[in-house]
Amino acid sequence: MAVKALRPEDIRKWLPLATLAVLILLVGIAQPSFLQPGTLIELASDTAVLFILATGVTFVIMLGGIDLSIQSMASLASVIVALTITRLGYGSFLLAIVIGAIAGFLSGIVHVRLKIPSFIATLAMGGVLFSAALVISKERSITLDETGRAYQAWITSQAFGLPNVIFIGLLVLAAAHVVQAHTRFGRYSAAIGAGEPAAYASGVKVGRQKIFAFVLSAAFAAVAGVVLAGRLASGSPTLAAELLLPSIAAVVVGGTAITGGVGSIWRTLVGALIISVVRIGMTFLGVNIFAQNIVFGAVLIGAVAITIDRTKIPIVK
Amino acid sequence: MSADTTAAISMVGIGKRFPGVHALKNVSIEIKPGEVVGLIGENGAGKSTLMKILSGVYQPDSGQILIAGEENRIESAADANHKGIGMVFQEQSLLPNLTIGENIYLGNERQFTKFGLVQWRALYDAAARQLEKVKVDIDPRMRADALSFAARQMVELAKALTLEEHAAGHLVILLDEPTSVLERAEIDILFNRVRALKSRASFVFVSHRLDEVLQLSDRVYVMKDGEVVAELAAADADVGMLHRLMVGRTQQADYYYEPLQMPVQDAILLEADQLACGAAYRNVSFKLRAGEVLGIAGVIGSGREELTRTLAGFAPHTAGTLKIASREVRLETPAEAVDLGIGYIPRERRVEGLVLFLSVSANITLADLASLTRFGLIDARKERGVATDWTARLKVRTPNINTLCLGLSGGNQQKVVLAKWLNAKARILVLDHPTRGLDVGAKEEVYELVRRLTGAGLSIVLTSDTLEETIGLSHSVLVMRDGEITHRADAARGAKPQQIDLIGHMV
Repeated sequence: MAVKALRPEDIRKWLPLATLAVLILLVGIAQPSFLQPGTLIELASDTAVLFILATGVTFVIMLGGIDLSIQSMASLASVIVALTITRLGYGSFLLAIVIGAIAGFLSGIVHVRLKIPSFIATLAMGGVLFSAALVISKERSITLDETGRAYQAWITSQAFGLPNVIFIGLLVLAAAHVVQAHTRFGRYSAAIGAGEPAAYASGVKVGRQKIFAFVLSAAFAAVAGVVLAGRLASGSPTLAAELLLPSIAAVVVGGTAITGGVGSIWRTLVGALIISVVRIGMTFLGVNIFAQNIVFGAVLIGAVAITIDRTKIPIVK
Repeated sequence: MSADTTAAISMVGIGKRFPGVHALKNVSIEIKPGEVVGLIGENGAGKSTLMKILSGVYQPDSGQILIAGEENRIESAADANHKGIGMVFQEQSLLPNLTIGENIYLGNERQFTKFGLVQWRALYDAAARQLEKVKVDIDPRMRADALSFAARQMVELAKALTLEEHAAGHLVILLDEPTSVLERAEIDILFNRVRALKSRASFVFVSHRLDEVLQLSDRVYVMKDGEVVAELAAADADVGMLHRLMVGRTQQADYYYEPLQMPVQDAILLEADQLACGAAYRNVSFKLRAGEVLGIAGVIGSGREELTRTLAGFAPHTAGTLKIASREVRLETPAEAVDLGIGYIPRERRVEGLVLFLSVSANITLADLASLTRFGLIDARKERGVATDWTARLKVRTPNINTLCLGLSGGNQQKVVLAKWLNAKARILVLDHPTRGLDVGAKEEVYELVRRLTGAGLSIVLTSDTLEETIGLSHSVLVMRDGEITHRADAARGAKPQQIDLIGHMV
């Protein structure tokens, strides 16, 4: 019989999608109501914020870095929106995203020009952003009034029977996919992640690409914060807390290599859906929601352990 | 058989293959107790593979290793140490942030350990005794990075000698290019120590410096293309003889496609005037014309490597002027060099040449994605066309253009690097040891490409592993020594200079 053996790279490629399908089936068998359209739509809506956050950080992970400031950035964005929406209207969203881009630019500069490892640069930036959010919000959660919420209709209302937030997620997917798969920046980041010295020797302006990746990461985090503020009708310095681990887990579970070079936005979508199914599945199955991060932590380690090709990595720091 | 004549180690019929290269073919050598064995050969002859087998880094595909007459295996570097094989490597292995004593006993602290704590005084006392063996007077409590290169070399030697405390048989110490960065006086000291230590150990001395090999060794093995081509007593040999054996062929015009060497054109593409870079080189002036292959000859430390890096944009010059297409430039980064039409083919092909985990196609287009981009998007169809075209033109043997470069043989990888620069319309190629690690057939293909490209008006700056290759390919050769040009030789078709004539200006 001519059964072609599955090659390890094929397994790595299709494992996330297979995992997603199996998970949906498992939860569906245990709790059939999980498979009802209403639940699945809810699942998709819930995934949007996580997916947008994970998409941004995918750009950084692709070129071998990490951005630990995304949840603080998203929270800060929600606070900025909450504080300025009555005065600036739609401009508040733009303001939040521009501030995100500036924060990302600063992280990038610190990482590239001062040659500080990205996890330190963004850990510090995360602290700065979190404190900034605390200070400007006066450590309070700010609930939006009617006027403010009116400006958020594009996030909270529905179209064609589906929540708008799903369309926002799809829009982000399309835009990020094009950037990642069809632009020079996308190609260069894959090259830098897989072999920075060769990319540099080929004339790629490595520093510039890295800075741009951090700009994208923080700007997407700000978008996620804007969307989250809309969904919760409030802004708070801890609004997006607890989202960092799931976001990075989503990228890695989707099959993007934590060491860089290999990955795509599609994989991040699959990863984000896996995380969401696990999260909602646990609720459905009656697992304490505070136990979620135990599961996400374990899933993250498991995913890296499966996807990494340890034979090519002699030393891990 | 008496103890004297039993070899400490003999390697019999050793064979080793790597993907695309037959690195060792039926190699046999033996090392007798108390003997210094010289091992010479050009880069790629198989010396380092052989040393790596001896030190347990590689396992041979075929053949036997006998230690004190008994068949044995060397499983790992630790196992090699255990069996009495020590190494003093060219790139030194001392950890700079540890003390000399800690370095000497790194991994072997157990003998000084009581109740889980290291007895530092005992360790440093023992280290001091080791240093005494090599007659260096340094405090073992000093950090390794406080020492000169030569002193560190001595410490390495002292470290290797600790093996005699626990190794079962005879001690064999491998010296891999130990003199390449030492001064004359330091070399003499090292050699005296080695001679004095012959009662304790045998040595294998790998070096490019043939006179030193003759000076120190009792016996010399000459390797070429993965085989031992000669074994002779040092007393019966001279430098010229060793060199002829190493190179193994009198200049073969055809091998380098010399009949295809076209005359140089008039246009000057690159001009260096009194160029200098820190302490690496100075007063370097030359002109590179269209269609010319300019070879740079010199030993390690001659400054030719840094000159190559300057032209590729990695090490900007610090004095003098550099003109490309008559415009004065300073190449701060490779990106600037690329923009000016310079393509760099590095010696570390798998690190700087290619992104191994990207496809053949992505590598070919990497240096010139701009021309494939419209409205910010890469034109995938055009990219496929470009990649298919180049793989066909350079005869890159790959399953398809989406294959990762990782899986290609060295020769085909090198063609992908070339394709990248041709696609980026480079006018000047800086070839930094372009045939390193390639087998003979792949080398010939590279030579033919060099001829074709220069025939079409491209210029090449070449540094090469062998002088023969430099002379064979070049139109003219610059010889460098200690950071300066010492000689300029014309190497026109049919009028190539002799290697011996150039060597005099190199050392």
